[in-house]
Amino acid sequence: MRAEEHADVLVLGAGIAGLSCASALTRAGRRVLVLEKARGVGGRAATRRLDGQPVDHGVAFIHTEDPELLAHLEAAAAAHGPDELIDWPLRVEGAGQPCLPRAFAGRERRLALRGGLTVLAKHLSAGLPLRLGQRAEGLRPGQIDCDNGLFHAPDLVITAPLPQALELLRGLPAQPELHSALELLRAATVHPCITVIATYPADRPAPAWDVCYPEGGPLALIAHDSRKRAAPRCHALVLQASPRWSREHLEGDPARWSADLLAAAAPYLPHELGAPQGLQAHRWRYARLDGASQLAEPLLIDLGGGQRLGLAGEAFAWSGGVEAAFHSGRRLAQRLLVGPHKRDL
Amino acid sequence: MMTASIKPKPMTAPKTLDDLVERDREHDCEGVGSQRICVRVAAVADLPSRFGDFKIVAFWNNRDGKEHTAIVHGDVIGAEDVPVRMHSECLTGDVMGSLRCDCRDQLELALRRIGELERGVVFYLRQEGRGIGLVNKIRAYALQDRGLDTVEANHALGFRDDERDYAIAAHMIRSLGLRSVRLMTNNPDKVAQLERYGVPITGRIPHLLPPNQHNRFYLETKANRSGHYIDFSGKPHLDEQSDRVLVEGMTVGED
Ligand SMILES: Cc1cc2nc3c(=O)[nH]c(=O)nc-3n(C[C@H](O)[C@H](O)[C@H](O)COP(=O)(O)OP(=O)(O)OC[C@H]3O[C@@H](n4cnc5c(N)ncnc54)[C@H](O)[C@@H]3O)c2cc1C
Ligand SMILES: [Zn+2]
Repeated sequence: MRAEEHADVLVLGAGIAGLSCASALTRAGRRVLVLEKARGVGGRAATRRLDGQPVDHGVAFIHTEDPELLAHLEAAAAAHGPDELIDWPLRVEGAGQPCLPRAFAGRERRLALRGGLTVLAKHLSAGLPLRLGQRAEGLRPGQIDCDNGLFHAPDLVITAPLPQALELLRGLPAQPELHSALELLRAATVHPCITVIATYPADRPAPAWDVCYPEGGPLALIAHDSRKRAAPRCHALVLQASPRWSREHLEGDPARWSADLLAAAAPYLPHELGAPQGLQAHRWRYARLDGASQLAEPLLIDLGGGQRLGLAGEAFAWSGGVEAAFHSGRRLAQRLLVGPHKRDL
Repeated sequence: MMTASIKPKPMTAPKTLDDLVERDREHDCEGVGSQRICVRVAAVADLPSRFGDFKIVAFWNNRDGKEHTAIVHGDVIGAEDVPVRMHSECLTGDVMGSLRCDCRDQLELALRRIGELERGVVFYLRQEGRGIGLVNKIRAYALQDRGLDTVEANHALGFRDDERDYAIAAHMIRSLGLRSVRLMTNNPDKVAQLERYGVPITGRIPHLLPPNQHNRFYLETKANRSGHYIDFSGKPHLDEQSDRVLVEGMTVGED
């Protein structure tokens, strides 16, 4: 049966931006519903389990100096276990550039969670009314139409990656603020990222680094993921292809991805590591915002009739990545709380 | 805590700007503001200019690679009530003479006035259009060119004051040893913001532009819905210095 529900705010997307916004609104007493098409939370801050061992196949590590995000990371870690939050990567190899050079600048801390980065998302989502498996298909002022339900609220918050958000916003009635916002968002570039997870028996010699940035070629980054784990059962490497290579091969054959990316990684791996025992590929169609597309603030547009539309996500704050997603969600919540609020019951 | 006191390393009191470089060589304080911004005086030189005799002071900061400067006229170390102007870098206006903003007029006025006074400082902050960055500023212009000058879009493009600007400025003021300042601005909020970071402000000096062929429209027209003046070429002026433009002879309406 198709659900129909009402709330004060609908937050679309249970990534870091959506959860950050929804948790701040909930704390301020708003009735929030979080709609997410996937079966779990975290979005691109994603963790898989291979034989019970967590592998982060989205974000490799979080870099931040935001005290609020750090506090959440610490709280998430504390609830999970001792020594859960670690400084990572410590050993960095390769002459290539990190996707966000500032990740290694100034007072940034670089952090990982032993249980996988979804530990953060799970912590942020604790107590929130989540509606998982709800893919938004249509949007109207005050209403989101999902494949498995119909949801109503005066305020809508969209945190899907920009191209997907734009797709949803197309159907809204024309209005100058919205029109300029859409023009702005259309100018943004979001890069894809083809990702391959390779696992190796634990008794083989593994690389001595945590992260490697190869220079040139198809690879942007190799994360030595098992070095984040307390007692890894296998060595796990996550190979992230460069934006350009990913774009060129996006519709290609995943078996070829693995072969090509492993070949590109070979010069950085000990010879004795040999062939992987397991391989998994993942296509992130919208992985990372291009640095030049970054905006400074979330958008909040008055749609008239007491209805508003908010946009948050990694594109809507200066810092980029997870920190930007978190920050933009918070900022949008603040703005929603300051403005006029109408109860619909 | 938003304010943090800066404890200069105890040493013989610096007498000249050049002494500051030596004093700051290993300066590393707890920083200003929640982002704990710390700056050092990194280099000092004479800067004779068409606006008077100045010294230029280059700063290093612990946050980013932006090289902020102070253009100093007269003896300011240990001085009270020093006239100070904060200027955000504007490549298009300051350098190219763009008429889409009033940055160059505002900068020239500040340099000229301070050059004529006994002492004063223009802080030239390398935060293009208030930290928005050049790319996003040109994006804002592009939206305007297509008639899409709206509040939310400008907001998202970053036309706002950043806490960081004030924290940096506050530290720079103290690094130069100014005891108290009089701020040249039309924006009382700037005074309040700097005070939050512990800068003693003893007065505000209005920044009134003399009328010229480029800014006459301020005298003749009202701001549009998003608060921007439309100039003779039909372009809205963004308030890039977050300092309301006041032209002599202008009747000031209500906000
Ligand atoms: C391979 C990879 C590596 C990365 N590395 C780093 C890194 O090292 N450091 C860093 O800071 N950042 C990194 N990032 C970027 C980082 O993951 C993102 O910036 C951040 O997680 C974005 O969070 P978000 O909440 O804005 O978006 P998302 O996490 O994408 O959340 C959006 C959510 O909306 C949901 N959604 C979308 N459309 C719909 C719909 N129609 N209906 C319902 N739900 C929908 C999605 O399922 C998703 O859960 C990386 C990303 C990838 C993919
Ligand atoms: Zn300008």
